[in-house]
Amino acid sequence: MSVERIPILKMGAFLLVSIQVDMHDRLALQLQEDLTTRIAETGAHGVLIDISALEMVDSFIGRMLGNIAGMSRVLDADTVVVGMRPAVAITLVELGMSLPGVRTALDVERGMALLASAAGERYASDHADGA
Amino acid sequence: MESLLQRIVETGSMIAILDITGVPTVDTLVAQHLLKTVAAARLMGADCIISGIRPQIAQTIVHLGVDLNSVTTKSTLADAFAVALRRANLRVVSTAPVRPVGGPMTPQEDL
Repeated sequence: MSVERIPILKMGAFLLVSIQVDMHDRLALQLQEDLTTRIAETGAHGVLIDISALEMVDSFIGRMLGNIAGMSRVLDADTVVVGMRPAVAITLVELGMSLPGVRTALDVERGMALLASAAGERYASDHADGA
Repeated sequence: MESLLQRIVETGSMIAILDITGVPTVDTLVAQHLLKTVAAARLMGADCIISGIRPQIAQTIVHLGVDLNSVTTKSTLADAFAVALRRANLRVVSTAPVRPVGGPMTPQEDL
């Protein structure tokens, strides 16, 4: 039996993950695994996670978002979480998880702009070192 | 909190200004609630600026040990609005025609 998976799309130097189904724990772990593998394979510099369809979160999913950001950071990619619903944001804050290492944006468009500007800064600083 | 977050979604705002000029006193519960609101707005992708904190409230906040270091605070709503405009790469300019040399009208300084 094939395992349910969340698709990871490659867009240029970035990876796009759109969560359109209810997250359960096994799906979250599978995503963590798939995403880290894809970042390593593609050498992506940014990950955009769209959670606009996510209606409920628990502490496990919250921690997973934090973990994914941490893992991406180690693999030299920035993480932007976009489209979080008010109810989800309130739940996470009430759970004491304000995800300090995660960047956020209101929608996919602005998230992409954020990643692009981060990539621009990265390019500038890399080349400043070599000069 | 809910109504602010809901409005952020509806308007697609990137910056929210919380002006508490009209609030005479703040206790721990209110301060914590403010901080939660700021954190929730950040999770959704909007930045918060708190303005109009009275001296008494500033004293209370520090005495209560509430950490506001991670939040932008400005003394007046006008200051907060100026910061918001700058972050949004916007500015207010005068539409009055610039008078010739020696005239009284000069272009407005940037905010």
